[in-house]
Amino acid sequence: MTTPVERARQSDRAGRWRQPTVWLRLAALGLFALVPLVISSFQATDLAIKIAIFGALVASYDVVIGYTGIVSFGHAMFFGFGAYAVALSVGRLGEPTYGHLLLGYLSGMAVSAAVAVLIGAFSLRVKLIFFAMITLAFAEFAGILAVQWSALSGGEDGLSPKLPGVFAIAYDGGRILGIPVTGKLVTYYFVLTVCTALFLVMARFVASPLGRTLQAIRDNELRAEALGVPTFKLQIVSSSFASVVATIVGGCYVMWVRYVNPESALGVPLMLDVLLMVIIGGIGTLWGGLIGAAVLLAARLLLPDLRGLAALVGGSEIVQRLTERWLLVFGVLFVLVVFFFPKGVLGTARAALARRHRAGAAQEG
Amino acid sequence: MKRAAPTLIVLVLALLPLLGMEPRVYLTLTVAGLAMGMLIFLVASGLTLIFGLMDVLNFAHGALFSWGAYAGFSAALLLDDRAGWVASPSVLRNALALLAAVAAAVLVALVLGVVLERVIVRPVYGQHMFQILITLGATIVLEELIRIVWGPNDQVMPVPASFQGSWDVMDVIVLRVPVIAIGLGLAVYAGLLLLLHRTRVGLIVRAGVESGEMVQVMGHNIYRYFTGVFALGSALAAVGGLMWAVFRQSVSPAMGGEQLIFAFIVVIIGGLGSVTGSLVGALMVGLSYNYVAFLLPKAALGVNMALMVLVLLIRPTGLFGASR
Repeated sequence: MTTPVERARQSDRAGRWRQPTVWLRLAALGLFALVPLVISSFQATDLAIKIAIFGALVASYDVVIGYTGIVSFGHAMFFGFGAYAVALSVGRLGEPTYGHLLLGYLSGMAVSAAVAVLIGAFSLRVKLIFFAMITLAFAEFAGILAVQWSALSGGEDGLSPKLPGVFAIAYDGGRILGIPVTGKLVTYYFVLTVCTALFLVMARFVASPLGRTLQAIRDNELRAEALGVPTFKLQIVSSSFASVVATIVGGCYVMWVRYVNPESALGVPLMLDVLLMVIIGGIGTLWGGLIGAAVLLAARLLLPDLRGLAALVGGSEIVQRLTERWLLVFGVLFVLVVFFFPKGVLGTARAALARRHRAGAAQEG
Repeated sequence: MKRAAPTLIVLVLALLPLLGMEPRVYLTLTVAGLAMGMLIFLVASGLTLIFGLMDVLNFAHGALFSWGAYAGFSAALLLDDRAGWVASPSVLRNALALLAAVAAAVLVALVLGVVLERVIVRPVYGQHMFQILITLGATIVLEELIRIVWGPNDQVMPVPASFQGSWDVMDVIVLRVPVIAIGLGLAVYAGLLLLLHRTRVGLIVRAGVESGEMVQVMGHNIYRYFTGVFALGSALAAVGGLMWAVFRQSVSPAMGGEQLIFAFIVVIIGGLGSVTGSLVGALMVGLSYNYVAFLLPKAALGVNMALMVLVLLIRPTGLFGASR
């Protein structure tokens, strides 16, 4: 005896491999895996893995903003916790070992989970809008703390940890199929694996009964509460889960870049980037994070060329300043996207597909 | 008694640091703290009014603060260049220069406020997430525009000569600018209370805070009041920004962002939508910041966070917040 829900799930599962998007995702993964083997330029490899890292970070933010409907400004802080925990544990506890690496990840996750529960516990009780203000205050505080407490965090200069074993820059694993195996290459695949795993976990999370309930709270909190859903608890669970994911991503980031400072890993500028990425990719799409990260990171890579172009056009000081302030362009883009393109790239594409699907079904029927 | 409790707590807290310092130092710090609190109050009161009436959390408030500071900065600079009003020893001319700067700040902020409300905020009423995102986008744009128009670096704010320096009251050094700031803050608080409780517009605004729909049903165009309150809040932020610039004798493009965090903490402590709450919250924040900055310099911002957390734990809606 199967219930209708079970039957729907079974048919969903059976048709899983026929969906084009699954193949699209696998192709994207293959592409990421091939980049360091095919393209020898460091810039391309760096861009690819940063897209994966920030894609995962943005997806974890999407779990909060898109699937739970809470606006947090502290997400970059949790990313920074991960980055600093790994950097400190590997860099400050003597000769780096794998144990230190693991310790860094675990302690970062523990701190993030504790802080996320704490922030959620006294800000989500009242109004969701409090969450935005309080997380912003906390993020600012964490940034100041990282700068001030320089004995531990290295202050503005940041930390540049050395990684253990196969991740070390000096590591040489000979050649496999004619490709030199370096520490950087090992790190690339390690980070890629972790990011892929995180994406799978997050996809599972938002599709789970818990994730569905969260979406119900997002759509109508009063109704969910009336149905007996413990909204407050579940919102805390969701924000803590996303924070822990962001922490792991932060650890990956510091493993790849091998450097962390308050500005690049903790600050409000990073948070703005993440917000822009999630909006460009599409709020509530999860995989849109990859698109948003790709667009923004690629644009930033190409912007210096744009500046050279502007220098050709005119020598006026205002024009000069205008091109220097790329953040202005992003700000305008931000407002425009929120206004005219609120679903982002992936959300808009999905809506268009769904429309075509419905039109096709209507024709058949 | 219940209404007096928060005020009592503030008084006790304000007297507590006397245990750890000389009375003279204490008085100097208290004046500085009160001044800082009053300036934050200017920012927070606008924020809290806008939230109370329109249910909009305005992240662009910090940018309006900076714009006010820069508008006043330009006006003061212009008057100094053309007429020498800032450097002149005449108190009248100095006061006129300051008034002109305030007028410039208010004017710019009123225009910016109306434009922001009409263009940016109005399409997203009722959608909290988009409000936050879009006002944040506006903040980025406004702040970058400051960097483009006035340059990215800190600049020295010309402070009128008679407002510089200090008075010596019985061996206690009292700086002049903080005293002016305290006076201005009290005047604005009194003005706001009068406006809200003694005028017809204030009555409608207060009714709108209670129930906007009802006000509309009674035949008032609530959107016109939205624009007005938004512009008023922007002007208050701009005056706060200008006074902060005079206080610190410098302007920088990022100054608004830092103050916005303070204002948020104040609004949370005082309760969203309450003007009196933001005054009490602002004074608490200003005083405790100054005391702790003197006693334990590194814990200065942390004490405000701790204060906020404490208030949230005891009263989740803030000291004066309506529990709804």
